[in-house]
Parts: sequence; structure tokens; C-alpha cells
Amino acid sequence: MQQGIEDVFADWVLGPAPSRDRLAGLCEKHGIGADDAAALSESFERLTVYRELVRGNLREALQLAIPRSIARLGPLFDEYFDRFLAEQAPRSHYLRDVTPELLAFAGPLWQDDARVPAYLHELARHESLHIEVSALPSLPRDHVPAPLSLEQGVELSAALRLVQYRHAVHELSADEADRTLPSERAVSLLVYRSPAHEVRYLELTKLARRIVERLLLGDSLGGAVRQAATAEGSALSEAVLAGAAKLLADLAERGVVRGPRHIADESRTTESGQSGTNAPAKRPPS
Amino acid sequence: MRRRHLRLIMSNVVSSIGHTLGGVGLGLRWDFLEEVVDGPTLPIDFFEVSPENYMRRGGYYPEQLERLLGRYPLVTHGLTLSIGAIAEPDPQYLRELRLEIARTHSPFHSDHLCFSSAGQRSLHELLPLQQSRENVGRVAERARRMSDVLGVPFALENITYYVHPGRAELPELDFLMGVLDASDAGLLLDVNNVYVNSVNHGFDARAFIAALDLRRVVEIHVAGHSRKASGLVLDTHGAPVADPVLELLSHTLSLSGPRPVLLERDNDVPELSELVREVQKLRDVYDASMLRFDAARD
Repeated sequence: MQQGIEDVFADWVLGPAPSRDRLAGLCEKHGIGADDAAALSESFERLTVYRELVRGNLREALQLAIPRSIARLGPLFDEYFDRFLAEQAPRSHYLRDVTPELLAFAGPLWQDDARVPAYLHELARHESLHIEVSALPSLPRDHVPAPLSLEQGVELSAALRLVQYRHAVHELSADEADRTLPSERAVSLLVYRSPAHEVRYLELTKLARRIVERLLLGDSLGGAVRQAATAEGSALSEAVLAGAAKLLADLAERGVVRGPRHIADESRTTESGQSGTNAPAKRPPS
Repeated sequence: MRRRHLRLIMSNVVSSIGHTLGGVGLGLRWDFLEEVVDGPTLPIDFFEVSPENYMRRGGYYPEQLERLLGRYPLVTHGLTLSIGAIAEPDPQYLRELRLEIARTHSPFHSDHLCFSSAGQRSLHELLPLQQSRENVGRVAERARRMSDVLGVPFALENITYYVHPGRAELPELDFLMGVLDASDAGLLLDVNNVYVNSVNHGFDARAFIAALDLRRVVEIHVAGHSRKASGLVLDTHGAPVADPVLELLSHTLSLSGPRPVLLERDNDVPELSELVREVQKLRDVYDASMLRFDAARD
């Protein structure tokens, strides 16, 4: 019986608009007996309260995380919100996971929907990174600073994400009413949490992005710079080395570089999907 | 046998770092976390923490909570265990929860007598269980295991319910006490929930309280509610505690004797100073109730 009740409640609150016929159909579908179905039907008005509560909680969490994307999508957002609830639904214990769950569901659909601007998924992803990065696990604080060496890897903060966009969504105004279109250009962005727990954004050059990417994968510093230069078609010139040194100094000042690490250490996560210590455990919310 | 166990429950209201949970506390919310952490010591006896807001994450909030340890006793009160669902609780969630409980030195952990998930779907709301004998046995068996799983005594809270899912085989009182008796879990008695249910389902709240085995009560919750145009009362945690709930709290304490009382406020959260004033108001009720409790014992 409990299984049937769970399924009726879940379909009721997450599914299409409520009606008495729909409630009767759900009871029949999930094997609720006639007496219990009749009792539920008598409580039709009160059952709608649960629908409002569940959907209100989830909508509020999303509004907090991606307000500009919701504003730009307008009524389209509600259409996808309804589809997410009905076809996928939240899975995590943690409400903060609802946004990435919705984006994982809607992202591919938005790509195929001409009504959704091409940059929208990137904007939503960009907005959601604020909460995501603010909550990423921290590394232990027992780290002792030491000089970097080319032979060793670099210990980076665990609270970061390296992302790439096709639109400069990070340059858009924070004003929810703004409808300016982002410029279309490739962007590499390091999103990190500062030692003071502020989420910050640093746009990287292609070379810098490749260096950070290689370091996150566990390469030695020398190897990371060499591979990054090769990938960019550059020689390992004085200019490249000077650029790498400047990048690392900047990242150290920002609290992103913590010091040397052994290259055998576990690798980290990048947006491209490699698994590692930075990946949030899954499932879900508050 | 029951008496011995109940003494065990109450003795565990002292935390592993020696903090005693008692008096009147406040639900810790992010709206005023910084003020509590950085400000002077407040006339609040303990704080209750929703562990899901701090576990499986790093950054500002867990660090602030860390700073609060040692200054105030903390007790954990979960939201998403979904103890009544058919599916077993997520083992990863339970492992993380156990760590968070240990980190806060909570003397016990509580969650709600409800379900909040359906299979893999997480609904993020406290949904009512059918008050049936089958559910008594099933939920009690699970609740009985929770103390071992979580490493501290476990308590269940009576929830607000707007609908009973189907025909009720048992009255709410029998369902609640059935689960507690069969599981040896403590009772987190939410007096506002009793009041709200009594209005929405038409029963006598004072009689309900009097019929409970109050020795099981490890903590009492109070909160504000609102009334819809239809007359339905909603447990919103978005207003000051209403007078009828204060009266019911007084009635409860005068019967139960000293129990930790907690003010919950989750919506339209006012300035901390206003909440401190409301805690003081609750303390006045508490003190007057203790006088009546002591007088009745003499």
C-alpha cells in the first residue's frame, strides 16, 4: 500500500495539472483500493496543497540559483520546469542539487529547441556555478606552503571549476531585467572559491587554460607547460615560460595554488568530465 | 524495560563534549548565522541544526558552524531521511549524516515520521504516511536501527498532515505511539503540529498531548502557522508562535516536566533580536510551566 501511496503522491505533485479524473486515474494506476481512493478524492482540495508546497520549494531553489536565466526564458522556463518534474524529478537529498539536475535534463533539450537562445544553457550553467563552487569540499588546512618545482605537480584548491563557453555569458549584467545578448566568442573561465569563501571568476587565455587543465589532471608543472605549449602549437619559449610563471603567481595570490604536490596524487575534475576528488557526491539537496 | 530505556534516552541529552541540552533554543538559519557566530553570546540555550545544510559540502557555512561549536550546544534535526518510504534510506546519505552528527556533537538526532521520497524521486516535502499497522511495524523496524547507524539515540517528530492518505486504520495517536513503542525511539514533540492537526482534523489537542507517553519526549518544537481562506491551517514556520500554541506548550511542559524547547522559524525570518525576544517569551512560559509541574509533584 505504501508504495502505491508514494507513487500517487509523487505523480500528483510532479505531474500534469490536477483534476479529480487524474487523481482517480493515478489511484487506479498505482493499485490504490476503492476505499482509499475514495478517501483521497474526498481530500482533493487539500491534496493540491502538497502540490503547491513541493513545486514551490523546488521553484524557489531554482529561482535562487539561476534568476537571470529564468527571467530570460520567461514562460518557457515553466514549460521545462514542468517537464523536468514529470519526466525526471529531483533525485538528490540536497536542494542545492536541484539546479544541476534540471540543467542536466534540460540542456540537451534546449539545444534542439529554436525558442531557447543558444547561449541560455551556458548562462544557466554559469549562474549555477556560484552555489556549486561555494559548496565544493575544501582540502585539509594542514598544507605547508613550499616552492613549486617543474618536476612536481601543483596542488590546486579543491573548490574550483574550469569551464568553457561559446558565449561570453560571464560578461552579462547581473540585472535580471537586462536582455543584452552575450558576444559569441570562446571563453575559458576558472571559477574558484577564495580563501575568504567568495566565489570568483578568472578568464584564462587558451594557453593558461591548457596549463590548468593539465595540472588538474595531475601532470608535473614542467609537463603541464610543455604539453600546453605543444597543444597550442607554440615552442617552449621564454615568453611561454614567463607567462606560465605569471599565471602561477597570480593563482597563488588568489589562493588557488596551494603548493607542490606529488604527481602520483589523485587527479581532479574538469568540466570535460574526468572524475576526481573535486566531484560532488551524488545525490541530492538542501 | 521501557522505563530503563527512557532513562537512557534522557541521559543522552548530554552531548559527547559535555553540553547539556535544555532550556529554550532556536533553529539555526543562514539568515542570522553570521550574527550568531560573530556576535556576543546570546540568551539562547542551544541551537538546532539541519545537517543537510552543512554536510557533503565545504566553504563558508560549515566553517561558520565549526566556529559555533563549543559556544552553544548543538542538536541535529534532519529533513530528508524519508524513514517511512518503502525504499531503504540512502546508505551514502546515512554515512555523511553520521559524520555530521559526530562533528556537531549532537546528543541525539531526529527526523520526521513521514516519507519525502518515492523510489528515486526526492520530493523535498514531509508527506504523510498511512496510519496503518503495517506501517507501524515497517517504520519501527527501521527506526530501531537508526541509533546504531547514526551513532546517537534517534527520535521521530510528529508531522503536520493536511490529508490522510486513504482510510486511516489507526488514529494518529495510536500510530505515533505504536511506532515509538515498537522502535524505542524518542519523541520530538512538535506542539504546533499537534495544534495545526487538531484544527484541520477536528480533535482535542490537549487530550492528544495528555494521552501521549510524555516520558518519550526528548525535545519540543514550536513554530508559527497561517490560515488559508478555506480555513485550512498551514504549518508555515513563517510567523510568531500563536497564543493557542503557547498555551498548548505550557500544558505540555506542565505534564512532561523539563524538556528542551525549540523555536523554529524558516520563512519571513525577522531580525535576530526579534527571535531572541520570542525565545525569552518562550522561556517565561517554560519557567511558569515548571513551577506548575513542580507544584503538581509536591
